[in-house]
Amino acid sequence: MYLTKEEERIYDGEHGWANQICMKILVRLGELFHATRLIPIESAHVSGVSYKTLGDAPGKFLETLANADGKVRVKATLNPQSFDPEYLGRKLPEHIREKQLNILRQFEKMGFTQSLTCTPYYLEKPKTGSHLAWAESSAVVYTNSILGAWTNREGGPSALAAAIIGKTPNYGMHKAENRQPNILVNVKTSLKNEAEFGALGIYLGKILKDKIPIIWGLKNASEDELKQLGAALATTGMVNMFYHNIQLERRTMEKISVEANDLKRTVESLSTAAKSKPDLVFIGCPHCSLTEIRRIAKLVDGKKVDAGTEFWICTSRYVKERSGNSVERIEKSGGYVLTGMCTIVSWTETLGIKTIITNSAKTAYYAPTLNKAETVFAPLKQCLKTALEE
Amino acid sequence: MRQIILKGRTIVEGHCKAEALVSTKPISFLGGVDPDNGKIIEKNHDLHGECIKGKALCFPHGHGSTVGSYVLYSLAKKKLAPKVIVNQTADPVVVVGAIIADIPMIDQIDIRQIKTGDTVEVDAYTGVIKILKRKENKSSCI
Repeated sequence: MYLTKEEERIYDGEHGWANQICMKILVRLGELFHATRLIPIESAHVSGVSYKTLGDAPGKFLETLANADGKVRVKATLNPQSFDPEYLGRKLPEHIREKQLNILRQFEKMGFTQSLTCTPYYLEKPKTGSHLAWAESSAVVYTNSILGAWTNREGGPSALAAAIIGKTPNYGMHKAENRQPNILVNVKTSLKNEAEFGALGIYLGKILKDKIPIIWGLKNASEDELKQLGAALATTGMVNMFYHNIQLERRTMEKISVEANDLKRTVESLSTAAKSKPDLVFIGCPHCSLTEIRRIAKLVDGKKVDAGTEFWICTSRYVKERSGNSVERIEKSGGYVLTGMCTIVSWTETLGIKTIITNSAKTAYYAPTLNKAETVFAPLKQCLKTALEE
Repeated sequence: MRQIILKGRTIVEGHCKAEALVSTKPISFLGGVDPDNGKIIEKNHDLHGECIKGKALCFPHGHGSTVGSYVLYSLAKKKLAPKVIVNQTADPVVVVGAIIADIPMIDQIDIRQIKTGDTVEVDAYTGVIKILKRKENKSSCI
């Protein structure tokens, strides 16, 4: 791999340990994937922020890096943490809050924006054609497919290294030839709601692995629906991007079709719970957009959440602060708009949550293992019906 | 015995002699290795219950969460890390882990040639591993 004189100096440790270790990570990974050089990135987005999933292992490394003068060179955002301080934080023991806070402190010291969201593109849309180093698979698919910015699916540590160096090796999705579609998916049934878009993603992810599909049959899909599709594709597959609105067809291209039955079976497989009433109704995986918050507010207006049910809507602080009276209306109904956290990396077990109903296929897929919870997978309207007293 | 020499690729430089612990299965450091004692805890793993501390840990490649890199760092800080990592095909999780934990590492080695209990010498500057002594019975850790 070619390194500039300046990059070589960093590699040799002339700019301190933090920069050296980050440069080593980028160079070794670059060599692994046959990159020829490093390219500047517009932003980095780092996963691995929740103390629940990280455990104690990374704390020390982040601390050492921050103390060795590790500073981000580009705009760098963070994935969600394991609770929101205002509501759930108060229900959790001191040592959990302290450990989580310490992780955030180290990131802050290195110059990370405390965005705490899996949808950093709502805070600032990356420029079309720009290069990024983003972890968080759902955001990777969304940015490659919907926003047209280019990123590999980074891991937590490699995105961190890219944030500190401000560059990433030029391999994979950073090269036009690797962004070409190589399979045609014909969806032969019309998708009725966001949950079905998610189910389609779960079904296709298993088949596609790391292929790049053109998906036909998604006419008039909203960005929120495509967000569900992308998040689910990345849950079961290594899919980094999809096309949905091009008519390109090559004779040599592999073709598959998705029938109504495939979708039905996938939707069913994402529910594990019997008939027991969920103790948590959860919307906001990936984090809600402004449009979604407004829609929920409209649907719950004047109604009351069932006394024994928790009703969480997760989003970023940024979006919450811009959603006007929608938050008030949701809170008046008894729901909570929680910011900066993600349910699947939160302390649901500690909080006694055993059954979750959600419109997110990604959450429904992960919750049985990550949260040891039963799941009911259903579209938004049905989730809200469960939350609200009849 | 005739000395077996295998040539691979340097990932992290270093040099050491150690007893080999060889697996035919990928290892996930997050969830697969106990960060408090260095034992493999992944169910149905062929090294289940074995301790990786101080070993020449040979396995095909890593898998699972990228948090696994931090687990390797944490193991190293607690002096529970392997002395050297030998992979068939290096993957990002283990590579990053070995870099931040400063564990010598080489890849592109046919690890089937190495048996658990063998004494090996790894020159991770040149990417060479030598099998110095064969051992038949498995030895346990600590």
